[in-house]
Amino acid sequence: MRTDTQSWPFRSVLVANRGEIAVRILCTVRALGLEGIVVYHAVDAATPAVKLADRAIEIHGDTPVAAYLDGARIIAAALATGAGAIHPGYGFLAENAAFARAVAKAGLIFVGPTPDAIDLMGDKITARAFVARSGFPVAPSAIEDEDPATFVERARDVGAPLLIKPAAGGGGKGMHIVRDLSQLETAIARARSEGQRYFGDGRLYAERYVENPRHIEVQVLGDAHGNVVHLHERECSVQRRFQKIVEEAPSPALSPGLRQTICETAAGIARSAGYRNAGTVEFVYGDGGFYFLEMNTRLQVEHPVTESTTGFDLVREQLRIAAGEALGYAQTEIPSRGHAFEFRIYAEDPARGFTPTTGPVLELCEPVGAGIRIDSGIATGQAITAAFDPMLAKLIVHGRDRAEAIERADRALADYVLLGCKTNIAFLRRLLRHPAFLAGEIHTGFLDMHPQIAAEPQPEAAVMERLLAAAALFTRPMRDAADAVPDLHAAMGAWRN
Amino acid sequence: MHHGFVLDDQEFNVELSRAREGYRLHFEGQVIPLSLRAGDDGGQILTVRGHSEPVRVAVDGDWLHVHLAGSTYTLRYQHPLDRLAAGHQDGAADHIVAPMPGSIVAVLVRAGDAVVRGQSLLVMESMKMETTITAPRDGVVDAVHFDKGQSFDRDTLLLDLVAEPRP
Repeated sequence: MRTDTQSWPFRSVLVANRGEIAVRILCTVRALGLEGIVVYHAVDAATPAVKLADRAIEIHGDTPVAAYLDGARIIAAALATGAGAIHPGYGFLAENAAFARAVAKAGLIFVGPTPDAIDLMGDKITARAFVARSGFPVAPSAIEDEDPATFVERARDVGAPLLIKPAAGGGGKGMHIVRDLSQLETAIARARSEGQRYFGDGRLYAERYVENPRHIEVQVLGDAHGNVVHLHERECSVQRRFQKIVEEAPSPALSPGLRQTICETAAGIARSAGYRNAGTVEFVYGDGGFYFLEMNTRLQVEHPVTESTTGFDLVREQLRIAAGEALGYAQTEIPSRGHAFEFRIYAEDPARGFTPTTGPVLELCEPVGAGIRIDSGIATGQAITAAFDPMLAKLIVHGRDRAEAIERADRALADYVLLGCKTNIAFLRRLLRHPAFLAGEIHTGFLDMHPQIAAEPQPEAAVMERLLAAAALFTRPMRDAADAVPDLHAAMGAWRN
Repeated sequence: MHHGFVLDDQEFNVELSRAREGYRLHFEGQVIPLSLRAGDDGGQILTVRGHSEPVRVAVDGDWLHVHLAGSTYTLRYQHPLDRLAAGHQDGAADHIVAPMPGSIVAVLVRAGDAVVRGQSLLVMESMKMETTITAPRDGVVDAVHFDKGQSFDRDTLLLDLVAEPRP
């Protein structure tokens, strides 16, 4: 599909983000013939996003993260560069209604939903109440705000297992599972402290926790003319600390009938909300039923999975919608072809509780091949620090079926060379070779149930020998010591590195 | 004294010597023939016992990052002299190092405070979670190296504990 941007109300787009998602958005912006502008903190000066952008504007802050959260300065940068629109990516300012309002007030276009939709879905309590009121399924729960004095009591009445969440939360921050109700008050205190610190809001709610559920989410798109479609589901059940590691489409768990029901429910929720732009409706699925979890009012990290199976460029759709265009296609025109996965490459050590790792990127060689896409925000020479989220890049694979996609992912991960900072790549290979993963028997407790996947096995003897051989040959003092005492029979100088 | 490499807290002793063709690795009583040559793609081809495969290695001080047989490994080189020195450290002081990168949420003790085993010393935040660092044994806080709000990398020294207060 060709997109004619000549009549659009903006000719340049400022990307208020960093890393792989800034690169991803800039690629589409520039492919559409628009000018791509990015803001960056000094620590990101050498990153691919800054190199790719037509213009890059340095921003400042007490910390690098603070710079990317400074909405006022980012809007000022947009105005100074003549940008007509701001794309927030995900994280940072993406779900900040006040920022979206300020962008509009400055006469710029926010590439995302309306501030009211962000408000509605951003507060989990109002979102949940809205969805229930609209006639869609939600889980049994207790909401603190309804009567703070009886919150603990009402939470106890919902029964264990319970999930305690900050009302203003997201991304798994401040969430606590309570299996033993004697721990309820401790969990509430902790969740409140974390909610207060992360979101400046200590209000909580408690809901029934489905043990080992699947996480199913549905991509939706809505335009300014009242059209809403879904782009099918993604399953994101493999998680650690409530954060996704692997996503796939279609879900291996759903029958065609249930799949259609969930997808239509998501589109129905978006339609009820008058939703505009790209969004994702998340569901918990278990014991044969599903209920609304939350709606993310932004582009998701895992959007490439849907791009792979539908052939749609979701960033282009976001820009078209922001420009006021109608979707221009019907639900039946959105295909679902083959099977796709996304594997998130994190700077972390799975064997040490998935703790973040740091280090320089000394050598980087990303895999290439049929059905393989890499969305990366890093380059050789860059330092990986603890300043940002540890996600470095994403491997997206597509195959005719699930088995072919897994096979391609295995080869791609084996070829993925990133030296200098420990990553979870080897862990991802162990994960995708696990019989339960191969069988599609995944759920959000999958990694807790199979802790051996996270453990780093010692290499087998033959590999150990080769590893030590390589290490010895590349260690200067060892090479020097060896070269200082030549073998009596060695042919001097016949061998060189 | 031998050269050594540490992989996942396990130590391996090796020696390297020259051979007529390439080198020999001395490991666990075996003598293993090796050679290395440049590959086509900027990497190297390692041959061990006649088996050749591509290998990529990046060296960062004593750390070696090796990509081989579809996996990446990180080893730490131990020079014979360093290993000798490491054997003579006294165990009277405890250096509390960061188990992971993060930032300090709360400092619960001050230099000079007597603490008991299991007592909370610091609350750190990493991976969107709070972790409390507790005293590994009874002692006296000698120094706290970070203030609230400061961030650090893994293995950074956060706090020193001594058995007796300084005179």
